Amino acid sequence: MHEIGVRETVNFLGLTFNIETLKMTWLAMGIVILVACLATRNLKAVPQGWQNFVEMIILWLHDQIDAMMGRRGRMLAPFIVGLFMFLLASNLIGLVPLMASPTNDLNTTLGLALLVVVIVHCLGLYFKGGHYIAHFFQPTPVFVVINMIEEIAKPITLAFRLFGNILAGEILIIVLLKLMPIWMPIPSVAWLAFSIFISCVQAVIFTMLSMAYLANAVKEDHAE
Amino acid sequence: MIEINATILAQILNFLILVVILRAVAYKPVARLLQQRSDKIRDTLDKAEADRKAAEQTLAQYKNQLSDAHKKAQEIVDKANLTARQEHDSAVAETRREIERMKLTAQAEIENERNRAFDEMKSQIISLSLAAAGKIVSKNIDTKENDKLVNEFIAGLNKNMFADLK
Repeated sequence: MHEIGVRETVNFLGLTFNIETLKMTWLAMGIVILVACLATRNLKAVPQGWQNFVEMIILWLHDQIDAMMGRRGRMLAPFIVGLFMFLLASNLIGLVPLMASPTNDLNTTLGLALLVVVIVHCLGLYFKGGHYIAHFFQPTPVFVVINMIEEIAKPITLAFRLFGNILAGEILIIVLLKLMPIWMPIPSVAWLAFSIFISCVQAVIFTMLSMAYLANAVKEDHAE
Repeated sequence: MIEINATILAQILNFLILVVILRAVAYKPVARLLQQRSDKIRDTLDKAEADRKAAEQTLAQYKNQLSDAHKKAQEIVDKANLTARQEHDSAVAETRREIERMKLTAQAEIENERNRAFDEMKSQIISLSLAAAGKIVSKNIDTKENDKLVNEFIAGLNKNMFADLK
């Protein structure tokens, strides 16, 4: 049982890394890639078995993207599907004993959130140019303060929501195991089951919010 | 617990690598497959539509040809009927003319026969009358008186006895 809040670190090229987070990230990546390979290993024109499932997910995602972002959104589909699968695998990995979620580290969640926000602003500038900057000053220039706060709040809320949920879930698993005698497993099992649900929901929320932010930057404005 | 260090850079890099790998390994093949399938379905539907149009066109063409053929056949039958009627009419007219001609010939022949018979009868009657008259008046009547009597008798025959033969 590791101590809560203390992270094992390594120094590499003068930079400090949380080694456990990195290891778990690589594991989650491996799982995601393995699942993706297995699901798409034997593609046929007439789908069978797992292929139906994969196609269903991708078609559903395409529908969502088309509805939220319009035609330009298709190029972001791999990013979004990767984000969702990675978050799902990361969140669920922490529920396995002796393992931890990569997403229980703020470095991971804030990294992803910043990545999303940077992509949003880059695409917004690329697709809309001056309009994108101008819309921060709408409806009056005074609103730039509120808009800036909103833009800064976006990655922070994204990161802390996921981080808090996952870390709290893992802490409570440890606490419950320590608190309860060994013959009384019901609370920890119940919490474990709820954590599975939380893991899925948080993955969905993070992905959906990212899509919404990206949609803002990418979709064609009919009003202008 | 919430310290930020270089891990954040590593995580961003990790995730970008993951996205690139996923895109190459899983997303692209599936998306391509879906695209191919929808293309194929669209092609099939387009082709079916084109086939249906072609079939309709062919059907219309056949119907046109059929009605043309009907019209032509009707024309031929009408023409044949007309020709037959004309020939029939001309044959009837020819026959009538022939009958008329034969009738005229027959009448002329009858006339000839009758004239011939009349002449023959006349000459025989003359000779008989002469013989009869000669026997009766051989003793006292001279030749002049005799000829006069005969002529009178013949004139009387002409007018009275053969009046109905004219």
